[in-house]
Amino acid sequence: MSLAPELVDLAEQTFFEDPALDRAFGVVMALATEVYVLRNRQQALERLLEEAGVLDRAALDGEPSDQERRANADDRAEFTRALMISLLGKQQSQGAA
Amino acid sequence: MDDRSFIAAQDFILDVKRFWTTEIYPALKADYENRTASFESVPDTSEEVEALIGSTTLYRFYAWLERHLQRLKYSGRYGLYPYHDGKRRELMASVAGIEIAADRLTLNPDLPIPEYYRKVDIHQHPGGIWRDEIAGFVYERGARSTTPLMGKAHKDLHQRFTSFVANQGTTPSHILDMGCGFGKSTRPFYETFKEAIVDAIDLSAPCLKVGAHEAGYCTKSTVRYRQMDALTTDYDDNTFDLVTSTMLIHELPPAEINQLFQEATRVLAPGGRMAHLDFHHVPNAFARFIHDGHARRNNEPFMSSWADIDPVALMAEKGLINIEIIPFQEADDVDPLNNPFWRFPWTIVYGEKAPA
Repeated sequence: MSLAPELVDLAEQTFFEDPALDRAFGVVMALATEVYVLRNRQQALERLLEEAGVLDRAALDGEPSDQERRANADDRAEFTRALMISLLGKQQSQGAA
Repeated sequence: MDDRSFIAAQDFILDVKRFWTTEIYPALKADYENRTASFESVPDTSEEVEALIGSTTLYRFYAWLERHLQRLKYSGRYGLYPYHDGKRRELMASVAGIEIAADRLTLNPDLPIPEYYRKVDIHQHPGGIWRDEIAGFVYERGARSTTPLMGKAHKDLHQRFTSFVANQGTTPSHILDMGCGFGKSTRPFYETFKEAIVDAIDLSAPCLKVGAHEAGYCTKSTVRYRQMDALTTDYDDNTFDLVTSTMLIHELPPAEINQLFQEATRVLAPGGRMAHLDFHHVPNAFARFIHDGHARRNNEPFMSSWADIDPVALMAEKGLINIEIIPFQEADDVDPLNNPFWRFPWTIVYGEKAPA
């Protein structure tokens, strides 16, 4: 059973003029950590697959074919839109501002 | 949490800390030196330095990273605390029954835990280094990467300190290590002075268990871990010929520091030696500004008040002689007087009790 102390509102140290930046940068660092954890795991996975003779590294590292790029395009566009849509400030639900 | 993810995240956080140490800190120092290059006299207080660079974007990021890299290291998603929390059962099984070896470990569940110790979770260690049964394991793991540039050689600094003591005089026969934590400072002493009896005391039972466990498999020397307050030990007067501590003093409020030196002197035999390794030598206002900021950001509430204390006067007041305050070189490639990269201001505080 976990005995970890609960997350509570202790006095927060802030360093920027707008404390929003303190918190937002915390999100950035948490994401950066996740990115590195994923990257590390993917590298390990590729190495293990290659050692097992399952993965052709040259095929993985090579430039993708036009067909593969076309296949990726819709997925990438959806990813990009979801990432950027917040910048437009649009709302889907009606209500007070 | 799987082990690979934990290691990857901790390595990443340490790499960011290394960048902070070797790139951001030097840039901050250069910015300060540029701003003061035309001054007739450089600032001589931490407050003056803060007025000059405390609001710069660079300093704000420097400060943010110092605070939050430590938070991520301990209590982020891949932090030391959640990782060890997930391994609680096996960790506790590894030290189960260790109290039975009474010659190795003596705990005192009734020991009063001082308020200054309970009030702040030092080093941003959730629950402090004493409250949770796994705290010793968490602290031990965390201490491996306290000094980013030392990498796996972090333990070397403890050996260097022990070597300093070994070179200062005769071989001690009875050693007291005050505030020994999980025994990182104790081990070089019992490995160097194999014939000595070593008593290692600390407030934290979880840390003492880790120390006793390690000593149980790595030495045949007489080393005893005891749960005790270093300010009020139960040892007789004149018991030890060497009293030492490592990174203890800066955790104490001023009145308790006075009490610590009083107690250390009391239990030290005439002719005995006292050597403490701590953070103290901050030679200029910029170093003090950096030091005070670190204290705030790393939950070290008494680090700055310790820096204000004159250890020579304090030790002289206790009747000690041959007092020396020595900037400590914790690694070969470090200049303790003017290092280009961030480092702790390691300092040896040394004195002797006059022969009878």
